[in-house]
Amino acid sequence: MTQSTRFTKWMGATAVAMACAAMASGPAMAEPKKGGVLRYANQSGPGTLDPYVSSSAVELEVIHHLYDALVTVGEKYETRPMIAESYEITDEAKTFTFKLRKDVKFHDGTPLTAADAVASFERYRKISPNAVIFSDVASAEAPDPYTFVVKLNKTNSVFVDVLKSPVYPFVILPASQKDAPQRGIEAVGTGPYKLGEWVKDSHLVLKRNDDYARNPAYKGKGTDGYAGDRVALFDEIRYRFIPEPNARVAALQAGDVDAIAQVPPDLAKRFAGNANIVTQEVFPFCMQVFVVNSNQGPTANPKVRQAIEAVVDAEEIAAATGSIAKPNHSLVYSFSPYYQGDAMKPYYNQKNPAKAKQLLAEAGYKGETITLQSTSNYANFRSAILVLSELMKDAGMNVKVDIVDWTTNASNMQRGTGTWNVSTTSFCSNPLLGPQQWRTMFYTFPQVKNDKTLDSAYDKFYTSLDAKDRKAAWDVIEKQVLEQAYMIKIADIGALNAYSKKLEGWQPFTLPRFWNTGFNQ
Amino acid sequence: MLRLVLIRLAQSVPVLLLVATLSFVLMHLLPGDPAVVIAGPDATAEAIEKLRHQLGLDRPLLVQLASWLGNLVRGDFGQSLMLNQSVLSAVVSRLPVTLSLAVLAFLITIPVGVALGVLAACNRNSWIDSLVMGIALIGVSIPSFWIAIVAVILFSVELRWFPSSGYAPLSDGFGPWLRSMVQPAVILALFQIGYLARMTRSAMLDVLDQDYIRTARAKGLNEWTTIGKHAFRNALMSVVTVGGIILSLLIGGSVVIEQVFALPGIGRLVVQGIMARDYPLVQGTMLLLGLAFVMVNIVVDLLYTVVDPRVRYD
Repeated sequence: MTQSTRFTKWMGATAVAMACAAMASGPAMAEPKKGGVLRYANQSGPGTLDPYVSSSAVELEVIHHLYDALVTVGEKYETRPMIAESYEITDEAKTFTFKLRKDVKFHDGTPLTAADAVASFERYRKISPNAVIFSDVASAEAPDPYTFVVKLNKTNSVFVDVLKSPVYPFVILPASQKDAPQRGIEAVGTGPYKLGEWVKDSHLVLKRNDDYARNPAYKGKGTDGYAGDRVALFDEIRYRFIPEPNARVAALQAGDVDAIAQVPPDLAKRFAGNANIVTQEVFPFCMQVFVVNSNQGPTANPKVRQAIEAVVDAEEIAAATGSIAKPNHSLVYSFSPYYQGDAMKPYYNQKNPAKAKQLLAEAGYKGETITLQSTSNYANFRSAILVLSELMKDAGMNVKVDIVDWTTNASNMQRGTGTWNVSTTSFCSNPLLGPQQWRTMFYTFPQVKNDKTLDSAYDKFYTSLDAKDRKAAWDVIEKQVLEQAYMIKIADIGALNAYSKKLEGWQPFTLPRFWNTGFNQ
Repeated sequence: MLRLVLIRLAQSVPVLLLVATLSFVLMHLLPGDPAVVIAGPDATAEAIEKLRHQLGLDRPLLVQLASWLGNLVRGDFGQSLMLNQSVLSAVVSRLPVTLSLAVLAFLITIPVGVALGVLAACNRNSWIDSLVMGIALIGVSIPSFWIAIVAVILFSVELRWFPSSGYAPLSDGFGPWLRSMVQPAVILALFQIGYLARMTRSAMLDVLDQDYIRTARAKGLNEWTTIGKHAFRNALMSVVTVGGIILSLLIGGSVVIEQVFALPGIGRLVVQGIMARDYPLVQGTMLLLGLAFVMVNIVVDLLYTVVDPRVRYD
């Protein structure tokens, strides 16, 4: 999941956000009550509720209320069984046996069995853009109604970590949906809320699933990522889609909605003095990087890429983006099991034009045009590229800035089309989930081909049964990506939500979750 | 009359064919790939290529164009790539919103715009003329985005007169529907009023200089009759023409107003379609809007015969 939404301010603006959050420091903790209709607004609505093809935040935030995954993530993105009661990894990480809970029912009342898991697997493999995760599956079977066994052709020590991804989530659908085409399912899940009315582009209503089977392993243990004790309190959640941030803020101020997502920090100032509105910061939310095209033009030369990396002033760039941003040299967060301390610091925030000039001389750079492409849709992306262009010019590079719409920009990055050399985007779930979720991005966006160091490190990562060896493999991967300047880290960035003080229990998370949340009056 | 309608409909066929072809060509000239949007950023290059094949995007452009036109002949406007519904049903489901906005804005625009234009013309070069034209200039010049934001802060956040955004369908009752539509319709009408007032003033001034107006005044007709029956009636042709253009534009949807007020109308649908490179959706919607333009123009042509009996088409 990359960021394709607007975010807001670094350092200076962080202070604004903090001030708003502090200003509305929340009411005295009260127990959220059952009942009521939550009115929530985000910038757009889902195009589909088919989980196997969903990767955008506005789809996933609804989907995680409707469905339960086989395994999912906890608060810090740890692996958590959900439909699975337990799982066992055997045969050198080639056989995965999931014991399923016996108490789970779909919204239509049908009990969930392993046959549904097998059918879900088959549909996923057939229609998901993420079907590559099952490319090594030799068989997926249900030896009994509550056992789901997946056998692989080759060792994949992180197969369960792959399955837990909340992007294109492997939730269990009824077997009846097995042959439904892409985006063509009936949204019947097992989640704490079920689908009510959905008018595309206008609103979507979720209704409480009173028959929801809370996972006994988590009962009474509260919210934990997309796992935990998921208790639906609202009678209904009414999602509204208000694209204009000013209008979303106004809707909350006017009392037309109870909670909103994606508040630009500048607009959060409008809540100042309003004792009834609380600002919520979600951090970390995404990670902004420069993507460098390693497959064409001057940036096919690693020394030119490294020269660009050498000029980056991450503080200045992040400040210009207006994001809530904090410096971090790593491609994972400090709480990740793959975090390597200061090992990647030499590649970050170098601010060294002299080094860049030397690298350019070694590269034999003769003033060829380097095209920086960004988008007019997201000011934070455009600003980052504009600042980088000035830094590169100062180091003697011949830079052309090309501003296009986001779809063109994203297509060029993902397909390698166009004549761009450097662009920028944000990745959200990838740094949270770690190496396995980064893999496609490392190859696709910078157009990496034939990098044996990266290939063999990833092979080692997938086949190492020991977590220490996997971490060592990630060391090589991360170093290779940063040393080769396929990606250049800018900063970790956050997001702001805001809500009425009558809301209780809403905890910040990557995507808004409304279980264990209710009104306090 | 029937013959006129039939001739106009026959003439519209090449126009619509041109619209269909142009919208196809323009959309496909845009860089950017719908398969990337649909597959998402985490998709592998292979998955994107597979999707391109499934959607038929890897076929030669001429084959895609022929397929699109062939389907149109059978009345099939295509299937939206993003919405999982047919283009026709996507447009039809958003039509009530856009029509509500268009009709209300039109009903506000016509009387106010015409009255202001006539008032300015009848008081040529006076302070009233300057005031009216000043208001018209402001209406035309100030971005409706800015007016909309300021109006929402004033009328929704501070005064709580109207909802800040959203559409209440007529099925929720006339009151809620009207409350949800008044603010966006008035703001949308502001621009059109300015435009119509200026055009009406100009048309009236032309007429007021004519000999028959001087004659009417000379024979002692009162000013109301002179202006209403002799001057305005003759200026009405221009007003009808401009009114037709305004209605056509309103049916096309107002992207800005729909965006600010979160109205799920046709304007927003088209913009989303363009952003997502949803070729069938944009092409189909443009063609349907082209059809609406043609229909409005036929009605305007017919109205000419009503407004001015001297106009005959036979």
